[in-house]
This record gives sequence, structure tokens and C-alpha cells, in this order.
Amino acid sequence: MTITEPQQPKTDLPGDGHMWFMVLGDLIIFGAYFIVYMVQRAMAPAAYLQAQQHLSITIGVLNTLVLLTSSWFVAQAVRATATADYERAIRLICGGGACGVLFIAIKAYEWTTKITHGYTTSNEFFMFYYMLTGVHVFHVALGILILGIVVRELRNTRRRRLSMVEQGATYWHMVDLLWLVIFGLLYVMR
Amino acid sequence: MSTTVLSASGGDPVAPHAAPASKRDLWIVFWIFPIFFGLFGVIFVLLARVIPPPRPDVTTDQKVQWFAAHATTIQIGFAAVCVVFGGAAIANGYVAYQMKRMSSGPTFAYAYMGSMAVGTLPGLMLVALCFLAATLRPGRQPRIIALLYDLGMLSFNGSLGCFATGYLAFAIAILYDKNAIFPKWLAYVSIWQIVTEVIATQMWVSSAGPYSWNGSIAFWLAVIVFGFWLNCQGICLKLATDRQPAGSRPLD
Amino acid sequence: MQILAEAEELPKATNIKTQLVALWIAAASALILLVAFIAFPGFWPPMSPELTADQVASFYRDHTAWIRFSMVTFNLCGIMLLPFFCVVVVQMKRMATQSQVFAYCYLSAVVSGATLFALADIFYAAAAFRPGRDPDLILLLNDLGWMVFIAPVGMIVAQNLMLALAVYHDNGPNPVFPRWVGHLSLLTLFAMVPSACAVVMTNGPLAWDGPVSFWLRNGAFATFTIVMFFVVRAAIHRQAIEEGVAR
Repeated sequence: MTITEPQQPKTDLPGDGHMWFMVLGDLIIFGAYFIVYMVQRAMAPAAYLQAQQHLSITIGVLNTLVLLTSSWFVAQAVRATATADYERAIRLICGGGACGVLFIAIKAYEWTTKITHGYTTSNEFFMFYYMLTGVHVFHVALGILILGIVVRELRNTRRRRLSMVEQGATYWHMVDLLWLVIFGLLYVMR
Repeated sequence: MSTTVLSASGGDPVAPHAAPASKRDLWIVFWIFPIFFGLFGVIFVLLARVIPPPRPDVTTDQKVQWFAAHATTIQIGFAAVCVVFGGAAIANGYVAYQMKRMSSGPTFAYAYMGSMAVGTLPGLMLVALCFLAATLRPGRQPRIIALLYDLGMLSFNGSLGCFATGYLAFAIAILYDKNAIFPKWLAYVSIWQIVTEVIATQMWVSSAGPYSWNGSIAFWLAVIVFGFWLNCQGICLKLATDRQPAGSRPLD
Repeated sequence: MQILAEAEELPKATNIKTQLVALWIAAASALILLVAFIAFPGFWPPMSPELTADQVASFYRDHTAWIRFSMVTFNLCGIMLLPFFCVVVVQMKRMATQSQVFAYCYLSAVVSGATLFALADIFYAAAAFRPGRDPDLILLLNDLGWMVFIAPVGMIVAQNLMLALAVYHDNGPNPVFPRWVGHLSLLTLFAMVPSACAVVMTNGPLAWDGPVSFWLRNGAFATFTIVMFFVVRAAIHRQAIEEGVAR
């Protein structure tokens, strides 16, 4: 192994304690949003159900597949970094990032169709829809930025670190996990 | 002479003609942070009753009655605010000062100071002034009192851009800082703050439900995250003050 | 004070020169503000909080031109005092034996305070904008203008407190400001604190037209600023000589 790990604490935790703190906190906050959503939905099930009909489950499935693929790329990139195959790792991370961009593009398309059809924040379900998917898209954009930083670090022969790639992967998998819950709550649960 | 000597800990220059160095000036300013926010809590929660906020979805008469019921404590609390709200400037100024000790350069320290200094006006004073105007003349027309109610609450809860900018400056400065003035996880908590502020913008649109200015998402979640963040910032400030070498000053 | 020819081009000399420029901008602005202060009919005598809506509305109707002139002037020149306070910050940062923390908090308070002052004249100017507006709305704008102008002294309290603490901690061989500046800061602060009561009193010395909330408050602030002008000027001269830029 030719990777140097500057003062890395010898724990079993991949990546960085700070990133795990971020991920757990983010999951807690999102969890709170999900609970509020479910409570509000329970108070007006018919209205929510009717509004949900206007969401295209096909687009939802498409987005899910895109994001799952990107997670697979990123996970492979971690393994590639561990075996010092940096070129492959960089390619895989770029693939993951490209999937992220595709996700955002599909989401933008979906939003445009919804808005032009008149489903805006005046409806409570759609308020949640825009809010949850909007915050999630912000996380995806941040994730793409993080992956970009990881690629830049990998390209620099003096700054290649497994922990950096693991941090990026942790964050990216969290983004994927959040999407799965959002997909389930907004698109599938009818 | 304006040459400075770098202290042994690297980064923080030592003041010229330094007498026996003491950190008393730092500690005086540090303690103003918790004292001010404690006062803020007492005034805004117990006296002025704007945390938690009164409801947006009430009639004009109910708004007039609300002011009548709380007039005395509102007046005492907000008159006190007129005297003590400078504590916000000192608290934010101290954070900006610690940010200047970071290796990430002065830009974001000044951005933080600017955003928070400007944000104090809509974020704190405007609700005080609107509510004081309402209680000064209870005989005002109900529609005007209702306007002051809305204006006060919207500016207090809805002044989000200034703070989002400030928190962004804070987070970026921490992430780039190699002097470890504040821990990296504080940057992540600041990012959550930004996200909750962005979500809270919906209160300008909704007058009832979870996205209104007293709603579970736009208010309660936001205030819980804010309370957590503020405590974290305070604790990290104390740790930074502990670690700062006596007699040192920030890079210019 | 004479800048030495050999030191003319140094950054230290420019630093001195820019501080002096800021000082003189502040002096000019202060004079203009004095004119605006005299021109605003609502200060001679200060309008009583007990005027009725109709009386306030007719005041704005009868004196529209002078009100607008004075408020536009305040709007333009009020913030021009800011460079003066920034010179104070620069001098505070020169103080020995301390970490400059007071200077940063002082700056923060100055920016907030200046923002508030800018708001006050916006309310008065808005009241004068449409003299035909409903009297109770003009009364509201007038109330807000007075309250913002007189009562929120907190930022000045913070500023002066930071300055006083800095002066008291400046224990080196060459203090930047004389020690009595600290005492004067605190005295000014205490003179201004009672005017916070102007938001709840409609008559008496603490109302916004009363001798304490209006004359004492504004007189103390003006006196302090004028005294500080001379103190800061002397400090800049001492700095120039200490740094070998002037003789």
C-alpha cells in the first residue's frame, strides 16, 4: 500500500468523524421533516392523495435508478482508491458526479412540468414536495461540489488520501438514502 | 512601528511593547456573548412573547386584544432591548474577531460582521419598534395595529437573507481554516442553519400550517436548530478563547 | 504637522493621510448634519408625542419643503460620519497590551448603529412624501421615525463601552488616547441610556421631546463626537511622529 495517512486515528470508522456528525445530524433533521409530513398527511389524507396523483411515478423511478447507479460508481471508486488505482477512481467519481447532474436535470424538468400545469406551493402537498425535493437537490449540488473536490485532490499526487474519498462517499450515500425515503413518501405511499 | 513578531504558536502575531500578557480583554468580551443571549431569551420569550410567535391566522380584533393583553411586558421588554441590543454587536464582533485569526483570510470575517451587523436591524429592532408603536397608542385604528403585528412578526422571523449570508461566510471560513480556530463540525451545523433559513422563507407565503411563521417547520424546527447552533458557537468560542495565546492579535 | 519628504511615499504615510482625510470628511459632514438638524422644523421645539393625528398631519402638510430638505440631507450625509468611527477603530487597533478584540466589536456596533440612523429619516421622509395621506397613517410614520431616532441607544452603549474598556486596557508606555476619554465615553453612555424610555412615555422629561431624551441625549452624543474629533486628530499626529513619518 502506497497511501500515506497523515495522523489518521486508528479507528474502524471510514472517513472522518466530522462528516459522520454532519450525516447523522442531517438525517435527524430530515427525519423531523418526514415526521411532520406524515402527521400533516394523516390530517388530510384525501387531499394529499388527490394531489399525489399528479406526480409521475415513472420520473420518480428514473431518478431513483440514476442515483443508485451513481452510488454504485462512488462505492467502486472507494475500492479503486484503496488499491491505489487512482485513474479508475477518478473516472468512477466523475461518473457518479455526472449521474448527479442528470438527476438534477430530470428534477428540473419535473418541476417545470408541474409549475406549468399550475401545481404550485398553494397546495399543501406540493409545498412539501417542492420543499423536500428542493432541499434534497441542494444536497445533491453540494455533493457534486464535494465529489469535484475529491477528484481535484486525487489528481494531485501529493494529496491523495483514502479518507477524503471515504468522506465524499459517505456524504453521497447519505444523499442517496434521503432520496429513497423521499421517493417512498412522496411518490409511492398512496 | 507596525512590524509584528509571530508568536511561537505560529500565525498569531504578538503585540509590540507587550506588557505581561493577559487575556482579560478577551474574557470580558466573551462573557458578553452568553449574557446577551440570556437576556435576549428572557426578553423575547417571557416579556415580549414573540418566541414562540403569536399566530398569523387570527382576525384584526384578536391582534388588537393580543397587544392589549401583553402591553406592559412588551413595553418593558422592548424598552430594555433598546438599551442592551448592542450586546448582539459585541457577540457577533467577537466571532468575527476569532474568524480573523483563521488562515482563511479576512474576507469572510468582514462578510460575517457586515451581514450580522445589518441583520440586527430587521432581525431584532424592527419587531421591537413595531410592537412598541402598537402599544404606545392603543387607541390606534385596529387595521393599523394589525399592520404593525404582521410587520413586526414578518421582519423578525422572515429576515433570513442576512443571516444565511453570515452563516455561509462562517461555514466557508471554517472549512478553509488550517489554524483550527473552530472545529469543522461547526461549519456543518452552520450549513443546516442556512438550509432551515431557506425553508423558512415560505412563511412569507403561508399564513397557516407548518410553513407559517409559527409553523412546525418554518418556526419550531428552525428555532431548535438555531438554539443548538448558538450553543455550539458559544462553546466553540469559549474553547477558542481558552486556546488563544495571551497577548496575541489577529493577522491584519 | 508636517509629513517628511523622505517618508512621503511609504504606506505608513498614506495610512496617516487617509486617516486625516476621513477625519475632515467627518467634520464637513457634521457641519452639514448640523444644518439639517436646524432645518428640520420638528426639532424646534421637538414634536410632542401627545399631538393628535390631525395635528401631526397638518405639521407635515405645512412644513413639507423643510422636512424633505432636512431628511434628504440626513439621508445623504448621516452615514458619512462612518469613516470617522473607522478612524477610531484604526487607532484602537494600535493600542498595546491587548488583542484588538475591542476594536472589532466596536466596528460591529458602529455598522449596526449607522444602519438604524439611516432608518429613522426614512420614516420621517415617508411621512412627508404624501401630505394627503390619512392622518392616522402619518401619525404612525411619525411615531416610528421618532422612536427609531431617539430610543435605540444600545449600539452607542456598546460602542462607548468597548472604547472605554480599550482605553482602560491600553497600559503601554504610549497610550493612544488619554485616560479621560474612557471616562467621557462612559459618561456619554450613561447620559444616553435613559432615552430608551421614550418608547413608552408620552409626556415628561423622558418622552422623546423631553429634556432628557432629546436634549441631553443628542447634546451628549454631539459633544462626545466633537471632543473625539480633536482627540483622534491628536492621536494621528502622535502616530505620525512615532512612526517617523512626520515631525
